[in-house]
Amino acid sequence: MAKTLMRFTGVGGQGVLLAGEIFAAAKIKTGGFGLKTATYTSQVRGGPTVVDIQLDEEEIYYPYANDGEVNFMLSVADVSYQSFKDGVKEGGTIVIEPNLVHPTEEDRKIWNIVEIPIITIAKEEVGNVITQSVVALAIANTYMDAIEKQVLLDTMLSKVPAKVHEINLKAYDLGEKYAKEQMA
Amino acid sequence: MATREVISTGNELSAIAAVDAGCTFFGGYPLTPSSEVMHVISDLLPKVGGTSIQMEDEIAGICCVIGAAMAGSRALTATSGPGMSLKAENLGLAQMADVPLVCVNVMRGGPSTGLPTRVSQGDIKQASNPSHGDYRSITLCAGNLAECYTETVRAFNLADRFMQPVIVLLDETIGHMHGKADLPTVEDVKAGIVPRKTFDGPAEEYFPYECGPTEPAVLNPMFEGYRYHYTGLHHDKNGFPTEEIETCRKLIQRLEDKVMAHQDEIELNEEFMCDDLTGADDEVLIIAYGSVSLAAKEAIRHLRADGIKAGLFRPITIWPSPAKRIAELTGKIKNVLCVELNIRQYTEEIERASSRLDLEGLYKVNGRAISPHEIVSKVKEVF
Repeated sequence: MAKTLMRFTGVGGQGVLLAGEIFAAAKIKTGGFGLKTATYTSQVRGGPTVVDIQLDEEEIYYPYANDGEVNFMLSVADVSYQSFKDGVKEGGTIVIEPNLVHPTEEDRKIWNIVEIPIITIAKEEVGNVITQSVVALAIANTYMDAIEKQVLLDTMLSKVPAKVHEINLKAYDLGEKYAKEQMA
Repeated sequence: MATREVISTGNELSAIAAVDAGCTFFGGYPLTPSSEVMHVISDLLPKVGGTSIQMEDEIAGICCVIGAAMAGSRALTATSGPGMSLKAENLGLAQMADVPLVCVNVMRGGPSTGLPTRVSQGDIKQASNPSHGDYRSITLCAGNLAECYTETVRAFNLADRFMQPVIVLLDETIGHMHGKADLPTVEDVKAGIVPRKTFDGPAEEYFPYECGPTEPAVLNPMFEGYRYHYTGLHHDKNGFPTEEIETCRKLIQRLEDKVMAHQDEIELNEEFMCDDLTGADDEVLIIAYGSVSLAAKEAIRHLRADGIKAGLFRPITIWPSPAKRIAELTGKIKNVLCVELNIRQYTEEIERASSRLDLEGLYKVNGRAISPHEIVSKVKEVF
């Protein structure tokens, strides 16, 4: 399988970024190589944040995604969308939170821009905004088919306290459902 | 040797390594991008009977580490560039008084407060002489996740062997990247610990600074019946201040020679894809360290796929520099490219070691990483 490059972007404090660690750990569990590298600003809250996730069968050296090679990006903040969209290769998929991210018409010609209200789903349907990270994880994995679902779920559950397992499984199912609807 | 797979960040691995290497004391002040070293070790140390203290500032952080080391503990502090500037005076004190400690510096953009969350290698020169005066720094530089662990372990062993501070340089990229590291087992790490020398004869015959001209002082832990004086002034065999001409000369010469006479115990390098470099005119040698070496390795994969025979020389012990090996390699290979996240800080050392002034360089100081593509383009442009 070719190298998978994903980029999750938001602003500091949103928490959508945890998904990167889960992806990397799950890939390593299957015997491959996974690397997550975050870049953030010195603003504690509100600065644009980007997480590059690389999954490969071969050893990965350079820990950042090369600009122009990113297959999939997910963005829940306009400032980060604008800063990092150019890293996505032409025709690549960008999932955006439509209430917060505003792509131009030109953008829609270059990339496959998909609107999924990730934060609203987490807040209103799952019932806890913190689960947006897992909603994002599900959406990314559904689009990229990067990791076998059960391995990803097991890894995710190993990283969250037992009392929130159920709510996170619900978040995953919802993320997957919305992604599949968009892909259909 | 058996290994174990750990998924973690560089900062976390450095903290875990310290505890595995027998560190029982941490003192410091959380500074981006090194804070996780303190967060993690604050959690780990109490569980093994150790102590971690957040002090009021960077200076107090290193001072309490010196105190813990004087009392016999393996002790750690961690910081970033601005903290190194503040700790400089007391790093000098530890050099002068033969006090072993480890200082992790996760490099960020400088000078001053610089770019707190961004990567840099701007502290390379500072690490060679953080304080005024003559002494030899021992500075190690991790170039991947596993080395954040192994170099921290090695730093503790070197500190106790040479009785002086050892600096471990990480950079923001290495410190924060999260992935797989194959580490030695805890049992192997523990088996490799060589405690510092102690004197166990009669107390009245104990002179801590009366040692061979190329050897460290033998400082027994304080509070165990062996009394000696401890000062940053030039001192005699008991540690008391003196201005006696020969004693002063011998002391400072010893601080130089205890490191330089034993460089073989300290030097460590990696040569990546250098085996088939024969000295032909079209071959390329890249010299890089820390996170930049990761970009260089990927660049070498691309260059070789394009038919360009390239290899990487990566110093892991930065100071004292592997001058002899640099001279050998740069004497054989004509096309040399130095890649650094600063402006020529280590290149100048490579020029000195190689006696060459025609080395090419690729430098960046805007807080962003150097990409493999930039290295490939530079090689194709200049050679």
